[in-house]
Amino acid sequence: MAILECRDLTKHFGALSALDRVNLAVEPGRIVGLLGPNGSGKTTLIKLANGLLTPSTGEILIDGEAPGKNSRAKVSYLPDRTCIPTWMTAAQLMDFYSDFYGDFRRTAAEEMLSHLNIQGRQPIKEMSKGTREKVQLIMVMSRAAKLYLLDEPIGGVDPATRDYILTTIITNYNPEAAVLISTHLIADVEKVLDDVIFINQGQLVLQSSVDQIREEKGMSVDALFREVFKC
Amino acid sequence: MLRKLLKHEFRATGRIMGPLYLVVLAISLLGNGSVRILQSSNSRTLQILGGIVLFLYGLGVAAVFVMTLVVMVRRFRTNLLGDEGYVMFTLPATVHQHVWSKILVSTVWTIASVAVVCLSMLAITFNVKYVNALFRQMRDLLSQITAYYAINGAAFLAESLLLVFVSCAAGCLMFYAAMAVGHSFAGHKTLLSVVFFFAFFIALQFLGLTSAFSFDGFSFGGAPAVHAFLWLCIGEAAAVAAVFYVVTTQMLKKHLNLE
Repeated sequence: MAILECRDLTKHFGALSALDRVNLAVEPGRIVGLLGPNGSGKTTLIKLANGLLTPSTGEILIDGEAPGKNSRAKVSYLPDRTCIPTWMTAAQLMDFYSDFYGDFRRTAAEEMLSHLNIQGRQPIKEMSKGTREKVQLIMVMSRAAKLYLLDEPIGGVDPATRDYILTTIITNYNPEAAVLISTHLIADVEKVLDDVIFINQGQLVLQSSVDQIREEKGMSVDALFREVFKC
Repeated sequence: MLRKLLKHEFRATGRIMGPLYLVVLAISLLGNGSVRILQSSNSRTLQILGGIVLFLYGLGVAAVFVMTLVVMVRRFRTNLLGDEGYVMFTLPATVHQHVWSKILVSTVWTIASVAVVCLSMLAITFNVKYVNALFRQMRDLLSQITAYYAINGAAFLAESLLLVFVSCAAGCLMFYAAMAVGHSFAGHKTLLSVVFFFAFFIALQFLGLTSAFSFDGFSFGGAPAVHAFLWLCIGEAAAVAAVFYVVTTQMLKKHLNLE
């Protein structure tokens, strides 16, 4: 059964259509790139999957049920901004995640934090913006979730940090889970993707495996993206 | 899940309210000394120092009430409607649990603030016999009321406490509903929250006046009338709280608009 499924999913903001009758399915065990230019509807789709927005029509299902209390226990979500509470220390943040998520692996989180030389008593507000982003990613990837929804995890960071982020994702995700990575920086993530979903102006353009694209089109995902979304 | 939300809510707010209470209580103890100095010493310097401590105590008491309100409003806004909302609304908890955790914690802090200020007033009273006299008079007053109206003292106390609790909850919910509605718009969220707060406030005043003028009193008197009046007040506060609760939860469920 698909871990994430959209059936005629539509979302309007007033007269603006952010998503228009999107149908797609993401299977467990796959790393999927949700790719599209800015404003294509990627963040809206991820917010709908988290229940932060409600569909105008159609439905979105997480492991067979609508987003809600149950689905949130299965989804680990990295928003496109840093939003961990800054008044907490790193240890308090781990307490927070441990309390609310039964699948939170505290030892893994502590290990990753210690690699960054972050002490448990260090307040988050005293960390740099880049370190906060990494701490948030560590919290998200320390969960043994069924579905990881990562919204622009490598947007606006330097190449070295991009490598750190992608390595953290690849080495820490639950292999039985699906990982959905939303981005427009294709070249950087292409090497880790199993499948891609192209989305533009709220409509699904393509859903395919990376191998299939390479075999059938004879080009990389990045090259195909540039061709499909040529201005 | 509500228990966990409450734990973290108390942790987040207690780091502000706890030290503030300690400061006010400490100043009130200093104030106790100041009152003695003001009464007994002729030294101008000591009298000025005593006056400053009493002024600081006044500021501290004001700060307790202002911060109780600020923490209640700010916590809801930043934790649920600001960036932290991305973390909070993706926890395996329902909107009802989130709102209840905010209501309960804010209500507890409101009641705690009143209690701490009362305690500090007792502490600043320089002579313990005044405190004893105050308690004795309060006890006498309660027993006189009990005797005169023949009311059930325990029930009267329980009803009064329930009224305080429900009124506090209704007050918090009016702020929450205004913020939940204001933040559902694309822009000017804070301004619209203020506008909706005053709109709700004016509507409540209008409804309150209308119901006061249309209330002819009870056809019975004595103890039953006292209890009935308290239950009427509780019912009114609960109805207001229920309306704002529905507005808040529905806005957060259906029209959440995190930036």
